[in-house]
Amino acid sequence: MLPPFSYIAVHSKQEALTSLASLAGAALLAGGTDLLVRMKKGETHRYVIDLTGAAELSGVKDRGGTLRIGSGMTHARIGAHPAIAKTCGGLAAACSAVGSPQVRNMGTLGGNLVNASPAADSIAPLLVHNAVVTLESIDGMRSEKLERFITGPYRTTIGKHEILTSVEADTLAGYNEGYRRVAKRAGWAISRLSLAWALNDADGVFKDVRIAVGSCTPVPFRPREAEAFLAGKGRERPVVEEAVKMVLDEIRRISGMRPSFAYKLPVVRDLLLSVLGGDSCS
Amino acid sequence: MFIGRDLDRVDALAKVLGTAGFAHDLRMEGMLFACVVRSTKPHALLRDVDVSGAYAVPGVLRVVSHKDIPGQNTFGALRKDQPFLAESRVRYVGEPILVVIGENEAVAREGAARVRIDYGEIDAVLEPDATGKGRQIYDTGSLMAYKKVRKGDVEKGSAASDVVVAHTFRTTWIDHAFLETEAGIGYVDEGGRIVIKSSTQNIHYKRVEISRLLAIPEERIRVVQATTGGGFGGKLDVTCEGFLALAVHLLKRPVFMRYTREESFLSNTKRHPLSIDYKTGARKDGTLTAVKVDITGDTGPYASYGDAVCLRVAVHATGPYEVPNVWADCKLLYTNNPVSGAMRGFGVPQLAFAHESQLDEVAEALGMDPIDIRIRNGLKRGSVTATGQVLSASAGFVETLKKIEPFWRARQKTKKGSGFGLGCMYYGIGNTGVANPANALVELGEEGRVILHTGACEIGQGSDTALLQIALETLGVARSDVLLDRGDTDTSKDAGSSSASRQTYISGKAVQEAALGLRAFLDEAGYYHRGRALGDIYRATKDKGRLLFEGFFNPPASGLDEATGQGIPYATYAFASHMTEVEVEEATGACRVKQVHAAHDVGKSINPKAIRGQICGGVAMGVGLALMEEFIPGKTASFDAYYIPTSLDMPRVEVFLVEDEEPTGPFGAKGVGEPALIPQAASVVNAVTDAVGVHVYELPCHVERLKGLIESKKTTK
Repeated sequence: MLPPFSYIAVHSKQEALTSLASLAGAALLAGGTDLLVRMKKGETHRYVIDLTGAAELSGVKDRGGTLRIGSGMTHARIGAHPAIAKTCGGLAAACSAVGSPQVRNMGTLGGNLVNASPAADSIAPLLVHNAVVTLESIDGMRSEKLERFITGPYRTTIGKHEILTSVEADTLAGYNEGYRRVAKRAGWAISRLSLAWALNDADGVFKDVRIAVGSCTPVPFRPREAEAFLAGKGRERPVVEEAVKMVLDEIRRISGMRPSFAYKLPVVRDLLLSVLGGDSCS
Repeated sequence: MFIGRDLDRVDALAKVLGTAGFAHDLRMEGMLFACVVRSTKPHALLRDVDVSGAYAVPGVLRVVSHKDIPGQNTFGALRKDQPFLAESRVRYVGEPILVVIGENEAVAREGAARVRIDYGEIDAVLEPDATGKGRQIYDTGSLMAYKKVRKGDVEKGSAASDVVVAHTFRTTWIDHAFLETEAGIGYVDEGGRIVIKSSTQNIHYKRVEISRLLAIPEERIRVVQATTGGGFGGKLDVTCEGFLALAVHLLKRPVFMRYTREESFLSNTKRHPLSIDYKTGARKDGTLTAVKVDITGDTGPYASYGDAVCLRVAVHATGPYEVPNVWADCKLLYTNNPVSGAMRGFGVPQLAFAHESQLDEVAEALGMDPIDIRIRNGLKRGSVTATGQVLSASAGFVETLKKIEPFWRARQKTKKGSGFGLGCMYYGIGNTGVANPANALVELGEEGRVILHTGACEIGQGSDTALLQIALETLGVARSDVLLDRGDTDTSKDAGSSSASRQTYISGKAVQEAALGLRAFLDEAGYYHRGRALGDIYRATKDKGRLLFEGFFNPPASGLDEATGQGIPYATYAFASHMTEVEVEEATGACRVKQVHAAHDVGKSINPKAIRGQICGGVAMGVGLALMEEFIPGKTASFDAYYIPTSLDMPRVEVFLVEDEEPTGPFGAKGVGEPALIPQAASVVNAVTDAVGVHVYELPCHVERLKGLIESKKTTK
């Protein structure tokens, strides 16, 4: 059962920002698929501000080179959005894989990012797209790179009176991109491991390689050294193997050795070998 | 003609419309809510129990302890060894200590949370210890049950073998995961009797336990089955019924209970974790010569259905094969882990995992096709089982293999990682080596309506519809002429539990007997030949009292010899073969089950669509057992971490029915409830071996375990 609280349904972004600033002990409900679970376990809030009615938080805008995605977009809507599928396919795939249909119908991109679970599906593909988040409060607006915004498991730089209003992601035309997650069953499951990638190669040479690994380190991350190593190199087995080794080393450097790595590292290895190697290396 | 027809399920409309009254839906004017305070320690003395915090919550009316029990504070289907409420000691996490009754659910739960218990912790026994030398829970030792089967001479049989394969197989705790958690309502009726309506698999048994608990005669108690959202063996033991009866008895007001999912996981019995040492010997031509099986299992601190599981796995040790020399031992040992109890298949699904893996390895060693070794050794009419029983009829096992043989022979791996496996089983219908009768009543009632009174609980398996079809067929009346009255101790006689795949066979036969009684009466009265209407027959005879016809059936079986297990444990057996196709992704260890061909000898199909439903459900549960389900004591709290298959994990299922009629069954029918599940995990595991060449000796074979096996195979190469 939920503890008692006052429920506020706002009808605009401005109303949301004002309510958040003026009410002490308020939590934002951006779908509720995390908040309500925590509250059922006993977390209490005097006020719950439901952002569903704030239309400005929804929608997708193509800004030429980047895509601005409203934080109120549900996973289901992102998964089915033509523009996102076209230029941000990894994100569409990731959002289509979140939880269950019920969770995808309620849960939002903003909620997923602010909750900042190490297993959040949307983070890895957004890192690949160099995403920048926009945060607003009644005092103003700021932007921050997603990889700086998330500082640790379930920790971000969001201020008490701030709302994450939108996410801006690079459109990656001409890239081969994708998302893979591993879970204990085919659906309705948390990611045990996830991998997002976007590759740009021509004539067997890597031009730009972007990789992000989720559900492995405390925060999903980009293995920059391996990415830099690959740029300009031929798409050949020894090169790919060296890059994969660099990724695994980087995971160990970040997290140390963990019991779950007995499983996760060989999976990262094999998935990356097949993603980076393509048919030539499998 | 009603047999073999896809009659609409009796319960379909109400369930589809949402009007069915599940136990969770029950409400009464002025009802209170009760909830249970449970042990948080696996093994401890209760030094002090302070309930003042609970009473300080406004609306808490009563905190009930073992001291408030007027009768016996013990229950158990087979042994009365488990306390309703702990007295001075708790023996597992989740053991009930107190019942808190409040004006509503929030108040009762708040009160329960405020009880303070001072535990004096005792070192817990967390591993079954067969040596008897380690720490023990009871002075009487660690051994709860020990059953054996001896046939021929296994040492001689092994010596005469060209190949011997030996492995140890392990399984873990599985939760029933019924969608409706334990729930019920209780009240005192106009006559001062205690009435309990609950989500249950057996009403007459629950009445016996309530009678002992409250020290009042059974006639003063009525137990009614509410529409029940699944059981799978988990609602055979007393769950909330005892607490409800106690609360109603003490407060004389309606009381409602429902367990949260977390409470259900914590408190309900689990499938027994078994460790199975299995040795199989065979000659070059594939003929099995000897099987030696040594099984130990974890019963937790109480017996529950352990005796039945222990004996059944010993009896079924060989699987559906004729083996001249058999040595099977099963020991269940006490621990402070969750109470293990009845769960769909009573240990046989775990055992099938072992005997089917073994058989594939024997076939591999001999260079035989897995289906050939099964056909060669399969039980058939005239075969002698491990307990020395000669199968004189209804033994269509080889026919089930023949049904899937064309698909097996034509199988083709479509891509890297695809594999095919077989899993087979036989399963004794009804309880093992003991009387397990059922009664049924058929009545000609008001306006000539035929009323079928049965105590057989419908738990979703379809007994309501099957029993109705048997009555309709026997009587030759119209569907609209018959009314079903099920699951009320006031209007029915004991039909035994809905367990052991027994209701279609046993209650079905009792219904047929009762209906034959009415049929003879109707014949005499001119219904069949003179076209006299049922209403006219009723009106002409109603002054002579109720027109009630009784049916009774107790399957012809015998007890088993204590030392050798020899005898006739069951009157009849079901047989099945499943062929499963999987796709394993080597990179991740993910296994997807693509397709299942399932062939079952059901004796006679009463309702083919219902059987198909049972088989699809069994396949789903078998996929869970094979690939993902795992209850970890102290860790698993809810569906958040306990994975059962979803629709996305379900394969396509093709069902094939074999009808080798059982002469003692109603129209030749046997049962399919548990057989639907039993061979499935085994066939998945064998398919995984075929797909990626690793052997699986422990379940579940989840992504991490399978990836680990694939990795270690790479390094040993």
